[in-house]
Formats: sequence, structure tokens, C-alpha cells
Amino acid sequence: MNSNLPFSPKTKMADVIHKDYRLIPIIGRFGIDYGFSNKSVNEVCGEYKINVWFFLEIINSYHNKEYFPQEELKNFNTSLIVDYLSNTHAYYLNVKVPEIEGYIAQIKNEVSIDNLKNIELLSDFFSEYNLELINHLDREDTIIFPYITWLEDTLKQRNFTAGIVKKVKEESIEQYARHHENMEMKLSDLKNLIIRHLPPIICKEICQKLLIELFRLEADLEDHSRIEDKVLVPKVSLLEQQILIACEAE
Amino acid sequence: MCIACKHFIHRLGVKTILSVIGIEPDLFEADDFTSTMSCIREIEELKFVVIAQDILGSDMSKSILKLNAINPDIKLLIVCDDFCNCQDNALYISEYDTRQQVLEKFQRFFHDDNDESTETSSGLLSEREIDVLKAVALGYSNKEIADKLFISINTVISHRKNITEKLGIKTIAGLTVYAVMHDLIKPEDVKV
Repeated sequence: MNSNLPFSPKTKMADVIHKDYRLIPIIGRFGIDYGFSNKSVNEVCGEYKINVWFFLEIINSYHNKEYFPQEELKNFNTSLIVDYLSNTHAYYLNVKVPEIEGYIAQIKNEVSIDNLKNIELLSDFFSEYNLELINHLDREDTIIFPYITWLEDTLKQRNFTAGIVKKVKEESIEQYARHHENMEMKLSDLKNLIIRHLPPIICKEICQKLLIELFRLEADLEDHSRIEDKVLVPKVSLLEQQILIACEAE
Repeated sequence: MCIACKHFIHRLGVKTILSVIGIEPDLFEADDFTSTMSCIREIEELKFVVIAQDILGSDMSKSILKLNAINPDIKLLIVCDDFCNCQDNALYISEYDTRQQVLEKFQRFFHDDNDESTETSSGLLSEREIDVLKAVALGYSNKEIADKLFISINTVISHRKNITEKLGIKTIAGLTVYAVMHDLIKPEDVKV
């Protein structure tokens, strides 16, 4: 397979993982199990009743930073991506963050007295970050995603009232895209505080695990926000346009 | 610095970008090539010029050479719609650049040779950088730090950039942790 080409419905599912093992947790989040044999992406998605276009959008966007979806966006409902993104939010908050907190707590227990102050500082720093992350994700879960669902419902029911155009114009997804903050910066700082500035600590193994998790979360968040910017936002813009056009026509 | 664009709305746009990246220089504006030239000629301390293609006319490289001839130390940032006439002695922004690219180019434009640090990149911070770091970590704004240390805001920004590069820490919260870790400040002194 040409490495420059995006994954297609015909790509063998096993090849997807061989090509990019970082897709393992992503594919896992779709609930897909191994033992693909020689099946294609299309066949596996069919078995799991997953919209293959949506699946490809997600893995291609994770796999290739330059990948930019176009035609494919029309092939799936927005609710799919909203569900996927909120599941991912829950995964960060319920799995990844507690994992990192656990490592920090372990280090706190085992660290020498003179380094305890530093670990406490890092711990507070991460707690503060966690609060910001919760707020950031919560805003998307409670304001942005419901807005998107509302857009899709409105279009489906074709129940266009006078207020709709106003709402679409005022709350447009572009506003969200413009203010979409970068949540990776503090994680990167935390990594550097440990790698470059923390005096050597006794519990090296836990510290290594902590660092690896920080790297993974940072990369995952980066990919996640890229999907929000490159898949969600264009898809929602499309919906908004359809509504505005439909309103004008009525 | 000087903003040279024909249209008021473009000049306003540049000012907005400056405030986004936190740079507040003394501003001069020009709306044609002649006034741009006299601006460069008359204002001695002028170092940066953001200039639109419409000011430079069809022969961009010739116009750039003319401006450079008045003051060879001047730094030019040119906003244009294509790169075919680009030269090495200026930085270019395309009208098709994304928000991110535009902001990065502006930052690079102002920071490239603004380096006043005396230490090597692997070394510790200079004394002045430590003063700035302490103030940043305590929660002071760039303006407050400039007043406190009797330096210009641009110098504060330049120090901050060097600090971030040397320490690998970008956020204020991260710098505060670093400063407390190294006993540069006391946590109870941090402004909330």
C-alpha cells in the first residue's frame, strides 16, 4: 500500500494497525476486537455496524496530520462524530487523568523528603490543569455538542422558525473554532518540569511511566482537537449552510 | 514600527494582530509609497515595517531595494498574494496564510534578532531574565514588569521569549512552578 494514500474501505483492517500502531486505542474506542483475518475495513465495519466513512475519517485524521476530508463528510450523520467525541472526552477524564494522578500520588508516597515539595508543586499544577480540561470538555459536551444535535434535528424536521437563522448566525461553529483553545501546552510544561528541572528522584520507574503517559495524553489531545477542527467544524459548517439555504427557500 | 497599507481596514487588521501577540510598539502609518519612504527616512528609531503589496507596486523587488537603501537595518514584513517575487531580505506573509501561520510569522518577525541574552542556550538564565521570570511568576503583566524594571515592553517580551526557550516552559503557571521549585519566589507572594 502506498503510504501517502489515505486508508480506504478496501484496506485490510490488519494493515491499518501494522501501518500505524497508535491507532490501536482509537480502533478500540469503536469497540472493535482483533482477529480480523483478511477482512477489509469495510467488512469489519459492516460486522460492527459502524459507518465506514466515519471510521475512515477518524483513522485517517489521526494517522496523517495533513489529511483533510472533503467529499467523505457528506456520508455520515453528525451525531456519529458527536457521540465519538463525547466518548473520547469521557475516556480522558475517567481513564487517562486518574492514571496520571495515580502515578503522581505514588511518586509522592515514595519520594525523599527534600523533593516532596517539588512533587507537590507538580501535583497541584496537574490538578489545576485537570480543572481546565474538565471545563474545556464540559463546555463542548454541554453547549457545543447539543447545538450540533439541534442543528441536525432542525434540518431533519424542517421546522424553520424565524429565530433559527439568527441562532445559526450568532452561535455559528466558526465562533467555537476561533476560540478553540490549545489544551496541550500545560502538559508539555509539566513534561519539561520533570525532564529538565526536577531534581533526581528515587522512584524512577513510576516517573518513567508518568512521563510516557503525559506524552501519550498530549499526543492524543492534539489529534483529538485536530479532529474537532478538521472533521467536526467543516461538517457543522455544512449543516449550517444547508439550514440557511433551506430557510431562505421557505 | 510603521504600518504601510493603502486601506485603513488593513492597517487596523495589522494593529489587531499586534495586540494579539502582545506587542505594543510606537506606531506610524503610511498609505502610499512616498509616505512610507519619508517615514523610514525621518524616524530614526524605526526598525520594523509591515508593508502591503499594494504599496510596493508592480515591481516589488525594486521598491524593496529602494526602502532598504534608505535604511539597510530596517526589517520588512510584506503581505502579498503570491511569492514569485520574493527576496531574501524580507519576510513574507501570503494573503492565503491561516491565522496560525500569520501569527507565527509576526512573532518570528519581531523576535528574530531581538536577542539580548548574554548566556548560552544551555546555560542558566541571566540576572535580568531571572528578574523578569520572578515578576512573571508572581503574576505581573508585561506592562507592570516594564515599569517595575525600567525597561520597554518589547524588552520584557524578548526576555520572556528567551526564558521560555531556555526552560522549555510556556505557560505562566508552569513558570511559577519553576520559580517556586528553585526558591526564586515564595508561593504565598503569587498574585491571584
